[in-house]
Amino acid sequence: MQWQREPTVSVAAKLSYFVRSATGSMVRSPFVHVIAIAALVLSLLGYGVARIASSQLDALMASLGGDVELTVYLGDGASGEAVDELEKSLANRTQGLVRRVSPAEALGRLATQLGDQGRALTDLAENPLPWSLEVRLPEGARDPASLAALAEKVRALHFVTQVDYGAEALERLSLISRAITLAGLVVFTLVFLTAIVIVSATLQLAIFSRRDEIEIQKLVGATDRFVRMPFLIEGLLQGLVAGALALGLSFALVRVIESEHGQMFAFARLSGRVVVDWLRLGAEQVGGGVLLGLSGSFLAVRRFLRV
Amino acid sequence: MIQMFHVTKAYPGDPPVLTDISLDIEKAEFIFLTGPSGAGKSTLLKLMFLAERPTKVQILIGGRNIARVRDSSVPFLRRNIGVVFQDFKLLPTRTVAENVGFTLDVIGVPRDEVRDKSVKMLRRVGLEHKADVSPLKLSGGEQQRVSLCRALVNDPAILLADEPTGNLDPALTVEMLDLLTDVNARGTTVVVATHDASLIARYRRRTLRLEHGSLVSDERGHKAAKLMTGEQ
Repeated sequence: MQWQREPTVSVAAKLSYFVRSATGSMVRSPFVHVIAIAALVLSLLGYGVARIASSQLDALMASLGGDVELTVYLGDGASGEAVDELEKSLANRTQGLVRRVSPAEALGRLATQLGDQGRALTDLAENPLPWSLEVRLPEGARDPASLAALAEKVRALHFVTQVDYGAEALERLSLISRAITLAGLVVFTLVFLTAIVIVSATLQLAIFSRRDEIEIQKLVGATDRFVRMPFLIEGLLQGLVAGALALGLSFALVRVIESEHGQMFAFARLSGRVVVDWLRLGAEQVGGGVLLGLSGSFLAVRRFLRV
Repeated sequence: MIQMFHVTKAYPGDPPVLTDISLDIEKAEFIFLTGPSGAGKSTLLKLMFLAERPTKVQILIGGRNIARVRDSSVPFLRRNIGVVFQDFKLLPTRTVAENVGFTLDVIGVPRDEVRDKSVKMLRRVGLEHKADVSPLKLSGGEQQRVSLCRALVNDPAILLADEPTGNLDPALTVEMLDLLTDVNARGTTVVVATHDASLIARYRRRTLRLEHGSLVSDERGHKAAKLMTGEQ
């Protein structure tokens, strides 16, 4: 007897069957699919909110640290050449903007800062303030450890009297930043794990209602891959729909926060706007939805294949 | 076509369901598998279509030892075996024609061809006009015939039927058996599990009798019929 090893395979026929089977199932039992999509939307919306909150915090941290400066005070014995060289070297190492501040400018600033009381300074016979170099530090050069090392090195120069960069404040800012990053990571992990569990359980519920169909398919000679494909297509479609809905809801949420009704969320806004990279968030939510839908379906259908 | 050598099937913690079964079924043979409820008839059929694996030794189907068949090869073997289930196993969410075409869908037959073959098969059992209704709207006998169509639409080498007349009245029982003998006459090996002695007496085919998981008799023609009528 000749066994049917490889059947008269028609890829187009199979693909058409998979799509028909997947969409047919969604039409026949919309309730379970709505539940599955709702579970996916909630998970992806949670992710979106966490992502938006994180980017807000990043922006907040960047704005808080916007004025981080390293100031190098120069002694009387500083030669023009040595100061030029130090200026270049600081600019190279920090990639920051280096400015030379004259004693007169420094005194003027101080007087302005002191307001009325500062008027006394202008009457001084001699300006007590030294020449200095001010380095405006970009975000990448604000690591407290490397700044301390740089300050130490500069301080060792014979014509430098003092180096100041707000070490304590910077250290605190850096700690807060690290804590927020860690908290964000924990939140992301929790949201992701919860999503996998919820989505997989919901899809199992959806697939459970079709266990008879799976059993019959297996008994009439369907391979595991054949049985699985329509469910994967369903997972893919659910993920796409859920991703798009979650993106829409995230967008609506941000608009509410930015509107007059969102006064209670004022803390979340920077200069009246919520900073969101929509293209990236959209790709992450839709892509994440597809990934969750596919992996949830794959895991959920597995236990029903043992016939 | 089907050979079994000292086959035993046991589930952990329970006494064996089948013990030391040896049999040899020829190609295009028609076999009745009989015995009281719980004798192991359904389990023996399940071993034949690989819904169960034997605990000991081997079963050859078409010369292949199915005890050694890898899980990934099981679907390809099943495509050669049509099965009529006692509980029909029809999907209420699909039409009658879609239920019949299920067997062809899984091997990638194009949609139009699936429809043509399914309707042709339904015509053979007089149910062409019910092609587009739900199986829920059919009588027990009609559902059984749809189940038979699904088992045969792929033209299998072997047809296994588990109590195919269990839910049918006498007239439909004869009709179903006539269909099965017709399939057999076209060259398909048919194994029918039944505890209906009158069927065995009427059709006088080779009959294997199971009791408490053991094969207690293997009779042909008149002897089988006599044995069964003698029991009554």
